[in-house]
Amino acid sequence: MFLNLLFNFFLWTAVFDKRSYFGSYPKDGLISYILYANLIATFVMGSRTAEIGAYINDGTIINMLLKPVSFFKYYFARDIADKVMNISFAIFELCVVVVLFNAHLIFPQNPLLFVVFFINGVLISFYINLMLSFLGFWTPEIWAPRFLFTMLVFFVSGSYFPLNLLPGPIYHVLLATPFPYLFYLPAQTLTGHIDSSLLVIQLIASYAWVFLLYMLSKKMWNSGNKSFSFFGR
Amino acid sequence: MRLWAKRAIPWSKKDVIRTLNLMKNLKIFYLLALHSLKTTFQGRVGAVFFLLGKIVRVAFIFIFIALVFSRTNLIKGYNLNQILLFYLTYNIIDTLSQILYREVYRFRPLVVSGGFDLILLKPFHPFIRILVGGMDFLDALLIIPYILAALYIYITGFHGDFIHFLIYLAFLFNSMLLVTAFHIIVLCIGIITSEVDHTIMIYRDITSLGRFPMDIYKEPVRGLFTFIIPIGVMMTVPSQALMGILSLPIAVFSFLVSCSLLGLSLLFWQFALKRYQSWGG
Repeated sequence: MFLNLLFNFFLWTAVFDKRSYFGSYPKDGLISYILYANLIATFVMGSRTAEIGAYINDGTIINMLLKPVSFFKYYFARDIADKVMNISFAIFELCVVVVLFNAHLIFPQNPLLFVVFFINGVLISFYINLMLSFLGFWTPEIWAPRFLFTMLVFFVSGSYFPLNLLPGPIYHVLLATPFPYLFYLPAQTLTGHIDSSLLVIQLIASYAWVFLLYMLSKKMWNSGNKSFSFFGR
Repeated sequence: MRLWAKRAIPWSKKDVIRTLNLMKNLKIFYLLALHSLKTTFQGRVGAVFFLLGKIVRVAFIFIFIALVFSRTNLIKGYNLNQILLFYLTYNIIDTLSQILYREVYRFRPLVVSGGFDLILLKPFHPFIRILVGGMDFLDALLIIPYILAALYIYITGFHGDFIHFLIYLAFLFNSMLLVTAFHIIVLCIGIITSEVDHTIMIYRDITSLGRFPMDIYKEPVRGLFTFIIPIGVMMTVPSQALMGILSLPIAVFSFLVSCSLLGLSLLFWQFALKRYQSWGG
């Protein structure tokens, strides 16, 4: 992650070498977006759920099903623990970039709105990751769809650049998917670049995605449990 | 005819053994590659997803480059065609390394299970099995469009000069020496510490800094990744040679660095082998 952050940071610094604006973004605005987006991505995308697919395939999942705890809550707690560990390293890396290379960070703005988008982003990521693992109930090919998802997410969630730099129609289509809610909108909120005319729709859409993905993952979990079978040891 | 017959050097016993050895090693490599191909086709759905993922990654970076150049003409003095050549060269080298050295990613289980003992006992060099023994055919499919795209950009954007192209090939070969050296070092670290997965991921992350020319980085990062960890030599220098903007000292330095690193990696291999302990039960 750190080297990816370095790549993005230096690339955008190079782009701003002989210009002060890129689209509607000043240098500090865009660099701050990249740094915040990478920081948020570390937290949002960090997950322990990838192991669930392997547990389903090798039957170990039975041990968890027997425990008197909610599977979803158990894994959410594991996820949060993993994310907290990741974020501590990510903050250190961000500090290294800011101090060593004189990156000018915009002071975080809209903290309350950020918290809302951020929590929804974490939940959306959690449910998508769960569903990718639940594919293990029906197929042993669990890593390849996750690989494709990871490739997709880092681009269409705005890890390399703010999504509103894309042509209007593509940007609006992307807003209808769950991806921008992972770290594009939280990062935009922090840098104060959030489009106020779309704010209410984006808020409703982020809650809608959380609800929809929760329902879908529950449905996959229930039907997966019904179709699950494993030979004894 | 008589002159040729006079000058012909008869094959010594050593030459015959060497040639037979080479033939044997090539046969083993061929059989391992065939096995790898069959394994790939066993998980067809997975193969399609992996292939799609790789295509998506490259396509998105292309879109990203197009987006940046839609609002600017130059990045650190390089135009769109030059940046694309850098990126395609990075992809060619990276994909070649994936095709040839995929087996390195599967080395850890061999060390921790003691399975590596059985490979060391076999009457061929262990590199045939643990370094090049698992060709990745999915990447072999991807390298063709990279090469074609690079050729197209070079011919249309740079009015392709054949001499520079030959020099480029020489530097690509030089980059592959560095790639080989790095993979041998990963194997050595695997033998000594039984840690492979993270080492190879760090290597991949570091090489990904070479997607664009090293000029975009500021000091000390640029110096670090050019002279200490020669990612610049591996990824940037071949494209600079193709564009005719490579200085002679850097060219000489590049060949020296790759030969030295390969030599050092082989010494490290000898060192690691002496410290190998079988973990098998």
